[in-house]
Amino acid sequence: MRYCAGLLIVAVVAARASDLVAQESVFGIRGLGFLDRPVSARSAGMGGGEAIFDGSSALSPASLAAWHGLAGWAVAAGSQRSVDVGTGTTSLTSMRFPIFGFAASIGSRLVVGISASDYLNRNWDVQRTDTVTPRDSAVPVTDRTRSIGGVTDIRFAAAYRVSSRIALGVGLHVLSGAATTAVERDFPNDSAYSTFAQVSETDYHGLGVSLGLFVTPVPRVLFGASARFNGRLSAQNPSASARVRLPTELGVGIYLAALDGVTVASTVTHANWSVAAADLQAAGQAPSRDVWGVAIGVDVALLKMFGQVTPVRAGYRWRQLPFLVGTDALSEHGISGGISFGMAGGRANLDVALEGGSRTAGALTERFTTMLVGISIFP
Amino acid sequence: MARTFVWPSLLFAALVAVTGCAEKITTPGRCPALCSNNDVQLADTLLTTADSADATARGYVLMNEATFLAASSLDSLRSVVLLRFSPLDSFWVQSATAADTVLVASPPDSVLCVLQVGFRDTTVHPRLVFYRLPARFDTTMTYAQAQAFFADSLVVDTAAVPDTGNMTFRMPTTLVAAPADSGVVSLGIKVIADAPTAVGLASGHSGSTSPALSYFVHGQAPRDTLKRSLSVAPTFAAFAQAPAPGAAPPGELAIGGVPSAHTILHLALPKVAVDSAGIVRATLILTLVRPVVAFPHDSFYVQAYALLRDHGPKSVLYPDTSVTGVAKVNDGQAGTVQVDIARILRLWGRTAGDSLPHVIELVVYGEGNHFGEVDVKGRSGGVGAPQLRVTYVKRYEYGVP
Repeated sequence: MRYCAGLLIVAVVAARASDLVAQESVFGIRGLGFLDRPVSARSAGMGGGEAIFDGSSALSPASLAAWHGLAGWAVAAGSQRSVDVGTGTTSLTSMRFPIFGFAASIGSRLVVGISASDYLNRNWDVQRTDTVTPRDSAVPVTDRTRSIGGVTDIRFAAAYRVSSRIALGVGLHVLSGAATTAVERDFPNDSAYSTFAQVSETDYHGLGVSLGLFVTPVPRVLFGASARFNGRLSAQNPSASARVRLPTELGVGIYLAALDGVTVASTVTHANWSVAAADLQAAGQAPSRDVWGVAIGVDVALLKMFGQVTPVRAGYRWRQLPFLVGTDALSEHGISGGISFGMAGGRANLDVALEGGSRTAGALTERFTTMLVGISIFP
Repeated sequence: MARTFVWPSLLFAALVAVTGCAEKITTPGRCPALCSNNDVQLADTLLTTADSADATARGYVLMNEATFLAASSLDSLRSVVLLRFSPLDSFWVQSATAADTVLVASPPDSVLCVLQVGFRDTTVHPRLVFYRLPARFDTTMTYAQAQAFFADSLVVDTAAVPDTGNMTFRMPTTLVAAPADSGVVSLGIKVIADAPTAVGLASGHSGSTSPALSYFVHGQAPRDTLKRSLSVAPTFAAFAQAPAPGAAPPGELAIGGVPSAHTILHLALPKVAVDSAGIVRATLILTLVRPVVAFPHDSFYVQAYALLRDHGPKSVLYPDTSVTGVAKVNDGQAGTVQVDIARILRLWGRTAGDSLPHVIELVVYGEGNHFGEVDVKGRSGGVGAPQLRVTYVKRYEYGVP
């Protein structure tokens, strides 16, 4: 077979006129995806300050020691975001179920549990218009690239109350998930060209272990620490595979019951995501960086509604995100508030949290408002 | 208790109702910061030797199967219509229940000729000239042989082709042969006009309306007060044309015409040209040997089919008629005919079609309905040989992770 003139890569003749994206966060298209927070609605109401101590969050396995008997929990999160990219502002909405779990006591000291939470969110959708000249005549095209899926962190954990002042926890994390990526190119209906579509699925696997420790040195004060050691995240699709080193994630926290009915908690986290930089760059991605996170919140249990104590919460958090947007670093902060309602004679809780904040990378800003609703039952 | 449970539950329901579970795609982004790493890349390839073997076969729709009868004075095609009508019945049944028959008196009172006009060129004011042919003329005679019967002395009648509608006009009763002389009426029709033109008449084949002679008769005495109209259809309806379609000359391929021709192309394709997903356009470029012949100012379609089984001229076409290529051609068109066969190439790239022969059959859509013919160069036609231009999206590299 003889080719005439070989392959002619068609030139882009016009600047991309209009770009459209939609995802969990617009920044989820970068790196491994958008890094989620495995926190409950209760913790989210306190900005995540209590997350390391919260049995329905998945930050520290020692937090399971908070449960006595049987417990189950689930969270739904609805988010509304507006994105300002300098050329315009538009809104996105989404609904997620970021964490659910189950725990049970074995004897008086041991609690085991399993939870599933979002680890990396790879939902994104990019649509852009362009003009190409495939046969010496300009043709408008619309390219759409979509990804649906992500990586879920399934944690099998156990906590042991060594004494009334010390609790230990250990967890095994199984990272599993898939993302289906679809690419489409649409031509105008009256064009001689047909739509192009290609779909590929990438599977993700990985393992990690976590350790947790709670210490109560003096009454009303609780210290917590956690460490999570991750292996590599394997990613494989029909045409390629890669292994990306995941970070060691460290966390410390303090839980202070300063006054009766008033609790203050704070958590500080660090993850050395820079270990993934080389693997990401090898895959053509921007490098990652080490990240810090700080959260602080207060829980006031003085209000009574419907004849029972109704805790009211508030908090603030700030965190860095590991995946660069171009050359710009991404950070996020949010202010939150929450409230809790006891139900079923104290055998269930409904937690509602509302969080507002922004994510910023260079000139790009995404503002978000998230409403989390969590239900915990402990029959 | 119940009160405590109800309103938080309503709050949860409200959250779900407000947010829903769908992503709203409305946000403007900015590339490259908020776009995927890879672009969709379009490439274009011209395969100049895609035609590895070709052939033309003629005779799929025969002259006497065509739905039209062409009377043409075009330089590119001259043709005359040949009709042979059955004898007029010698009686009619007045009352079926009583087996009451009436003998037909001769000659008839009048004769109407009824013709359905399928195509006409109103700009040149065509007229049809009717000639008396020998009752038992040779139905295989050529256009040249037929000319002996299209002499002025044999003219029966002439009639203008109306700009709209069909033709119904009275003919002289003298054209009817006496029953003793077989009663068969054979007519030849040619077209005359201000300029070369062609007229298409419905032939009566394949569901089209037949030409007819309508005889208005009365009964023989003593029942000569009874009258009747008796219609007779032709037992033979065809046309003789010049040049007569035959085997395509060496190096040429023919598509269409009457008798209709099919061209079969064997395509040798690189892998990139047989991709179920990536091909966005594939154009088969055929170089015309001579301008397209058709009814004046008319157009028709050349259609490409994939084959289910390759048995040469008797190949089995792929049954899914949506997997075809098509190109519109116009009367007098010169240069090239370009048929889009992307659907066929994508079929060959799919699992359902990967065992199909890489062979396409080119036909005229609705063959037998018009005399449009396309004559193109074959693989030995040098720079005019069939070419295939494929525009495709290069395999998208998703990247991992």
